[in-house]
Amino acid sequence: MKKMSYVKLSIITAVSIALCVVLPMAFHSIPNAGSIILPMHIPVLLCGLICGPFFGLLAGLAGPLLSNLFTGMPPAAFLPQMMIELAVYGLICGLMMKMIRTKKVFVDLYISLIVSIIIGRVVAGIAKALIFAPGNFTMAVWTTSYFVTGWPGIVIQLVLIPAVVFALMKAKLIPERY
Amino acid sequence: MNKLLAGRYLVGNSLLHRLDGRVKIICLLILIALVIGSRSVSSYAISVSAVCMIVLLSKLPPAYVLGPVGRLWLFFITIFLMNALFFDTLNPLYSWWIFYPSVAGIKQGFSVVVHVVLVLILSSVLTMTTSPTEVTTALESLIKPLKLIGVPTEDVAMIISIAIQFIPTLLEETEAIKMAQIARGARFESKKLKERAFSVFPLVIPIFLSAFKRADELSLAMEARGYRNAKKRTKRKKEPLSSKDYIALCICVALCLVQFLLLR
Repeated sequence: MKKMSYVKLSIITAVSIALCVVLPMAFHSIPNAGSIILPMHIPVLLCGLICGPFFGLLAGLAGPLLSNLFTGMPPAAFLPQMMIELAVYGLICGLMMKMIRTKKVFVDLYISLIVSIIIGRVVAGIAKALIFAPGNFTMAVWTTSYFVTGWPGIVIQLVLIPAVVFALMKAKLIPERY
Repeated sequence: MNKLLAGRYLVGNSLLHRLDGRVKIICLLILIALVIGSRSVSSYAISVSAVCMIVLLSKLPPAYVLGPVGRLWLFFITIFLMNALFFDTLNPLYSWWIFYPSVAGIKQGFSVVVHVVLVLILSSVLTMTTSPTEVTTALESLIKPLKLIGVPTEDVAMIISIAIQFIPTLLEETEAIKMAQIARGARFESKKLKERAFSVFPLVIPIFLSAFKRADELSLAMEARGYRNAKKRTKRKKEPLSSKDYIALCICVALCLVQFLLLR
């Protein structure tokens, strides 16, 4: 498998961060798109899958920050917890793709996505319970906000992200994994 | 879509516009600590006065500064009511069904709303008086200590500045792809939620393909010109901090010390 250069990985990360600003704006015509479809998560997860853990972590931290600077969303009150959640998504996705080698791209992608989505939500829940909303954040609230409200976003991520990865491989914009 | 992008930074010549970006970010963090640390009436008075003074010094239209606060009115009401009605179930003013309104709950709700409003105003003032390029340069300078633990801070700053430059390009691309898909029968404006949600699929994949193609071309161009990483690059001019930057820092630190040492 041909590896991408450090410069290309950096530019792909920059593009992913820019998409964290652009995609939510594209989705804003749909009511409650932010909490249901979770558009900012898609570029971060993709960046982690394609570029690795460091760049995924950077995309997760910088994406929501730039989106707040340019569009005001997410609001400053929610920004730190969103940065933590997305940073964990990008980091875990990248780590899982480095560690898992099943010789099947689909399997690697789905395992990485599912593990990062679960761990990201667990870490975000812990951060919210301990730091951002201590005493007001229960297990029921965590389950509702991260899985019940967000299930369309999870489904979209699990369907869309592998499709995008395969489209990019077919267009030879990223190297084949095996 | 482009309307959202245009409004954050407002060109001006106020005292706040002329402060160094690094100082503004550090002062923002200090003032956030000041706001969050407010507990007594006098400390709230200091926090509110400091925020009002900053808004006056920025010479920004109040409607712009309070706009983000206005958009979140429902959130503030919800937070206030949740605290007022559920915070203290042991000493309520009275109880009805699952609701236990209490003095402690009302105080807590008020406190949370005031904290969030003040932090929102402070961050809005920062983004409205500091251009994204200034913010990137300031962040690059402030995260330099992370070099000690091996973080490539120059590369991080380069990535963020390229991301900022890509945003308008990708926005135009998104608009063009949206028009093309509408011409092919995609229904983004459908009233059915499910149809509108699934209509985004033919928008997202072409956006990603286009974005990654641009990334590929840019990286090839950069490598062809000998760019490897940002470590050995230097800046044309380095601007030192001026007296007004130091004065602003000292005032913020002094306010924090007064709050935490003398008042709570």
